[in-house]
Amino acid sequence: MKIICLIKFVPDVENFKYDYERNVLIRENVRMILNPDDACSVAFVLKIKEQHPDTVIELVTMAPQSIIPQLEDLLRLGVDHASLISDKAYVGSDTYVTSRILGRYLSEATFDCILTGTHTLDGDTSHVPAQIAELLGLSQLSNVVEIDEAAFCHESAVVMVDEELSYGKYEIPLPAVISLRKDRKYKLPYIKYAELSRDVKDRIQIIDNAQLGLATEQIGIGGSLTQISSTFVKSMEKKERRIVRNDEEGIDLVYSFLKERGFV
Amino acid sequence: MKKVLIYYEQKQHKNSIELLAVARMIYGDDGTRKEGIEDYETYGVSFGPIEVEAECLFDFLIEVGDDSAPLEKRVEAHSQEQRKNNSPVYDALFLTSVLDELQQEYQFDCILFPATHMGRMLAPRLAMRLQTGLVADVTDIRRKDGVMEIVRPAFSGKLMAGILSRKAPLMMSVRQNVFSYAPDRLAETRRISHTPKTVCNGGIRLLEVREKEATGDIRDSDILISGGGGVMKDFKKLSELAVELNALVSASRKTVDHGIAPRSIQVGQSGKTVSPKLYMALGINGSIQHIEGLKHVEYMISVNTNQNAPICSISDIVVVGDAKEFINKLTEKIRKEKQI
Ligand SMILES: Cc1cc2nc3c(=O)[nH]c(=O)nc-3n(C[C@H](O)[C@H](O)[C@H](O)COP(=O)(O)OP(=O)(O)OC[C@H]3O[C@@H](n4cnc5c(N)ncnc54)[C@H](O)[C@@H]3O)c2cc1C
Ligand SMILES: Nc1ncnc2c1ncn2[C@@H]1O[C@H](COP(=O)(O)O)[C@@H](O)[C@H]1O
Repeated sequence: MKIICLIKFVPDVENFKYDYERNVLIRENVRMILNPDDACSVAFVLKIKEQHPDTVIELVTMAPQSIIPQLEDLLRLGVDHASLISDKAYVGSDTYVTSRILGRYLSEATFDCILTGTHTLDGDTSHVPAQIAELLGLSQLSNVVEIDEAAFCHESAVVMVDEELSYGKYEIPLPAVISLRKDRKYKLPYIKYAELSRDVKDRIQIIDNAQLGLATEQIGIGGSLTQISSTFVKSMEKKERRIVRNDEEGIDLVYSFLKERGFV
Repeated sequence: MKKVLIYYEQKQHKNSIELLAVARMIYGDDGTRKEGIEDYETYGVSFGPIEVEAECLFDFLIEVGDDSAPLEKRVEAHSQEQRKNNSPVYDALFLTSVLDELQQEYQFDCILFPATHMGRMLAPRLAMRLQTGLVADVTDIRRKDGVMEIVRPAFSGKLMAGILSRKAPLMMSVRQNVFSYAPDRLAETRRISHTPKTVCNGGIRLLEVREKEATGDIRDSDILISGGGGVMKDFKKLSELAVELNALVSASRKTVDHGIAPRSIQVGQSGKTVSPKLYMALGINGSIQHIEGLKHVEYMISVNTNQNAPICSISDIVVVGDAKEFINKLTEKIRKEKQI
């Protein structure tokens, strides 16, 4: 089976700082990490490949070339090859355009299944998987928390979907787009010692717009249908507050506060 | 006359109705409709039956189904067929083709989805089919120099972004529990039944539904006892206090990421938006992403070892100290007072 994982590298947001005084985002030294949902999908296919060594895994990402070292580390885990879709003209693309670019590549690719994350830490829109599925005319399910390994075959997959109020178990014919959501079941393994310094460059192909051939007015900021026009910080309204300690006086104050307002 | 289509989910009635407030913010004059001047009309579309509670809210309710049978029969047939024949009310491909049909027929100016599980799968697919832009997880609509901006969290919630959409129809998925709708008048709801012309589906089959344990929805509770990084080790203690106050326990993402609390009780940008009367934040720092989930909180009490934690600046009472100790003391105090 041939499986494509759509992955995205995102800024390590926990360490992503905003300078409230100068109103700027501090982007220097921000590490890029594999989006957690996407790490789950890669972990899942690696498991499948372990059971079925003839499985072929391709990673596809649209990103700047600076993420090549991270891609190499994933290849060292046992991924067969990676396609990096990268072109300066793609900078500033919104989700609609990103989906079109990825969709153009995928429409020429061969696969039995496409795995994606449900959402990303930075964009957090969940648009790309559904839009790619639409472009390719495939079914898609998001918020998948489990894929049945034993039932995963050419024809179909059986997945568990977290639907907020309930869990739904579905059978979905393949090819389809299956979007995982981070779950502790799926964890990326560590790179084996022998693999650490393996040269994997020849397993990465870089694809630019000359190859994909999208019209310039369809890509980047110009091609985007939504546009950020302003950013602002949400101001927190400050309250007049009372500061107490964890002593009798403090507890009494909290208690009478609750009592006066009918909470106890 | 502007036309707004709202994706109505019976199971998420409240979240679907909230979108009427968004429609009003987009097209309503000064936020309210003027007597006699109807400048926009709302269409709710539902796959499956619509109960009466949606009446008088929308101008039109479109029920998708086979209109040759009476409603009850249709509902029955629907669910039977669904089981047997995978009639695809959970199949986004099918739903998209029906919504596309409706768009061709009615030419809506604006299409809104609640950001529910299905809403979030459906909206991007439809936007791609209609070749229009989509803004996800909208939390506000504002006007800047007369131009409408659609507001959503950006840069991981560190900032808010005002977004312009360049193409029609205007499409958004709307964050749940952020808006609230009070009708300024009752609508005379007209029902339309729509029979899909082309039934195309992706062949997805529902095998099993497992209801989640009904632990109570933190969005419905008047009081939330919320725990974060500072009470991670003693998270179970929170429920002792919650029981005394008839409250529910909620959590920050840190505790969820550590596997201590379930995701369903996470408050914040990537969790739920809540509007309790009282929010007790124990050992929570108050990151922007956490505060993002607090709407219309009447009273806030925070307990923190650090009185400069951001959460403290939006609290009515700040208790400086250890959260576990606080829980013990307050629980004991409440129990004692009850006995008197
Ligand atoms: C895209 C994105 C989305 C996010 N979405 C959410 C979200 O939905 N919800 C959310 O909560 N977070 C969210 N976060 C994470 C958020 O940025 C914070 O990391 C998180 O809220 C921190 O949780 P905390 O305040 O519980 O923990 P900490 O930051 O560890 O804070 C612990 C607090 O407890 C205090 N404390 C320590 N010991 C004690 C003690 N013994 N007694 C009392 N107080 C003590 C400390 O002074 C501190 O203020 C998101 C982040 C990103 C990047
Ligand atoms: N630039 C990209 N390259 C490859 N995959 C992407 C890209 N952007 C988004 N995706 C995929 O779409 C999922 C959801 O991302 P988003 O729509 O940004 O929330 C991610 O988890 C990825 O699987």
